[in-house]
Amino acid sequence: MSELDPKFAREILKFGDGTFSACYNCGNCTAVCNLANNDNTFPRRLIRFSVLGLKDQIDASLDPWLCYYCGDCSTTCPRNANPGDLMMTLRRYLSSSYDWTGLARKFYTSKVFELTAIFILALFILLLFVFFHGPMTTELTPDGGVQLNTFAPWKTIEAGDWIMAGFLSFFLLSNIFNMYLKVIWRRKDLKIPVSLYFSELRHLIIHFFSQWRFSDCETNQDSFFTKVKNGEYTYWFVHFLLMSSYVLLFTMIVGFLYWFQTDEIHPWWHPQRLLGYYSTFGLLLGTIYFIVLRIKKQNEKSKNSHYTDWTFLTLLFLTTLTGILVHLFRIGGLPMATYYMYVLHLMILFPMLMIEVPFSKWSHLAYRPFAIYFSNVIMAAQQKTSQK
Amino acid sequence: MEQNMKNSSVKVADTLILGGGIAGLEAALNLANTGHQVVIVEKDLSIGGRMIHLSKVFPTLDCSACITTPKVSEASRHPGIHIQVNTGAKKLAFDAKGHWHVHVQTEPRFVNESLCTGCQDCERACPVVVKDEYQYNLVGRKVAYIPFSIASPRIAAIDIENCILCGACEKACVPGAIDFSQEPVQTEWIVKSVIIASGFTLFDPDQIERYGGGKFKNVVTAMQMERQLVPTRPFNTVLRPGDGKIPDKVAYVLCAGSRDGTVGNPICSQICCMYSIKQAQLILGALPMADVTVYYLHIRSFGKGFDEFYQQAKKMDVSFIKGKIGKISELENGDLMLRYEDIASGKIKEAKHDMVVLSVGILANRDIEKISGLENLELDPFHYLKQRQEMSNPFKTNLPGIFMAGTASGPMDIPDSILSAGAVSAMVTKYNKGFVESIINSLTISSWNE
Repeated sequence: MSELDPKFAREILKFGDGTFSACYNCGNCTAVCNLANNDNTFPRRLIRFSVLGLKDQIDASLDPWLCYYCGDCSTTCPRNANPGDLMMTLRRYLSSSYDWTGLARKFYTSKVFELTAIFILALFILLLFVFFHGPMTTELTPDGGVQLNTFAPWKTIEAGDWIMAGFLSFFLLSNIFNMYLKVIWRRKDLKIPVSLYFSELRHLIIHFFSQWRFSDCETNQDSFFTKVKNGEYTYWFVHFLLMSSYVLLFTMIVGFLYWFQTDEIHPWWHPQRLLGYYSTFGLLLGTIYFIVLRIKKQNEKSKNSHYTDWTFLTLLFLTTLTGILVHLFRIGGLPMATYYMYVLHLMILFPMLMIEVPFSKWSHLAYRPFAIYFSNVIMAAQQKTSQK
Repeated sequence: MEQNMKNSSVKVADTLILGGGIAGLEAALNLANTGHQVVIVEKDLSIGGRMIHLSKVFPTLDCSACITTPKVSEASRHPGIHIQVNTGAKKLAFDAKGHWHVHVQTEPRFVNESLCTGCQDCERACPVVVKDEYQYNLVGRKVAYIPFSIASPRIAAIDIENCILCGACEKACVPGAIDFSQEPVQTEWIVKSVIIASGFTLFDPDQIERYGGGKFKNVVTAMQMERQLVPTRPFNTVLRPGDGKIPDKVAYVLCAGSRDGTVGNPICSQICCMYSIKQAQLILGALPMADVTVYYLHIRSFGKGFDEFYQQAKKMDVSFIKGKIGKISELENGDLMLRYEDIASGKIKEAKHDMVVLSVGILANRDIEKISGLENLELDPFHYLKQRQEMSNPFKTNLPGIFMAGTASGPMDIPDSILSAGAVSAMVTKYNKGFVESIINSLTISSWNE
């Protein structure tokens, strides 16, 4: 049995604006949705849960993560109840319901809390550099670059990276485990053979790297080239570019800093520089593209921006920008500018990773593929039971 | 007191009624029978409005034309009623004595009304065929034509926009009634009161892309289905327009263009549920083997006998499924696939039908806003005329001496339209009787909104 809680709608509204209570249950949103099917029947079901306050059902639902905000539901909703935006709000709500520390909830519901946290973390980095930085030499390397590793030795930075990565993984993984408890473990009606967790694992990997589900938003019969020409893959492509750049850069910084942060200036075709350029290009293009979309508000999924969307995009953009400047100052032989920019770069990068990855917007990079994985596991299990 | 000039004249009456539909006719007859001089100004070629084109009325299944035509002919012959068809109001002005000066313009029909006998010789002679708007584009008509068989007045007209000026009708017309030299005629009516009975317009479903946007041949509007069910129907049976096949599985899509904020009409049209239930029953009468499914959001059978009528349709095996149709797609053979969420089971379903009827909603007739001098007329947010005091002083606009009847004030069914006409007749009688030039005038205006 579930308990009704009419006040629960107010709780959801803390995570975003919403007009979902206007819904008159016509089912139009579910019928026009290209991603919904009879195993995952959304968004109307979720609107109903939200209006009635069926908290347990919402907490156990994967549907918000399976929604990619194509926007058809919102543009055609006869009541202008904006189901797509509710799904977005529920993703914020779920992110904080998975987070056992309660920090995600704070970040999502209080601007002041989020900004303060950013400043404290930035200050922390600043103080670390003030007290522990290496010698600020103005002497240049033989090929005219700045001796960045004297100021900030990669070994020290890497140690910091590892500590940070440990924190991030611990929180993110424990949140994913919490998600697993909510969506599978606590459901009494499910009996899942262990083998399914392995056989369905491919979905996790495919969707983490490809985000191909975005392209399911378009179901018209046009040929692939017409779709490309009409820009139907543009959003997916830019998103993919941004995500792959991020993953690549994160791997290089955390795993291969000795190779990535060098004082030696490599020729332009060196893999270190090419990979770095690809990533900065992807991040720069991606953040600018999404910022412009959110300012223009022309397509449905960019119409409603939460303040956390803006913090995330701004931090990512500024990280990229300062990173590019560090690179330019370093090969341009400007020691002091390089050092200051490097500190600034880390002052933005560190809070962004610490806040966004486990507790805020960036966590969707884990929740989305895991949701697809879990939902495939559930579907496969249900298929097996129905066959018996 | 008539001053006749070339193509323009000034005339006097008690009340002018804009619109010769069932509400306008009912009000006109009530007023004329109590001794008022009434003018009906109708923009169409015939009076009778929408109702004269309908098959049956719900929930009694009485013949619609059989109720309308006696009123139409009574009004046409009544000594107290003057009817001007093919005429539109251009300007309204309020004078110092409290009269309304209504400037109307009669468009030329290029047929001499007193000579035409309605023999249809011109229609047979005319070589040009265009879509017949009175059959809702299901079939064609000639350019020289009698609007429809029970039109009143039953006089030919020439649709000059599509005319090729070949002169065939002129040669065929025995009484010589064809007159291409006609020009617009202006009339200025000086009246005490005006009733706006301008009716409604039908929602155009072509703007709903996901229902085919007007491109699917076997998706019709409810009015097109209605025409297929009347005695004066264009085909002699019910068939789908795409290929002339007699349909086996007909779907009704309710709330197509009403209760929908995305198409700018968030309110209920009040009639679609019931006319769809009525048509479903009539289809089962015409095609006993057909399956009819009605996809609804909420069946609003609120009137007397309405719910019994709904239950009767269910007993006749009309299927009712709760769920808004999200998408319609056309198959190669012209059949249609309807995708919806079945609210009862919470499952997404697809159903194949060979004909789909969109139960389109109704919208306010916004032609009223184009009349000069009515800029201050108050409208509600949905562009219907606003009733200042719906309870204490119904059917009065904010302008002194201007009343409203029928769907000009909002969506309503036929009995309610007739009822409103009855009510407004009583109000206008009172207003006209108490009207004394210039003495009462200031009093009338100040007491108008009390």
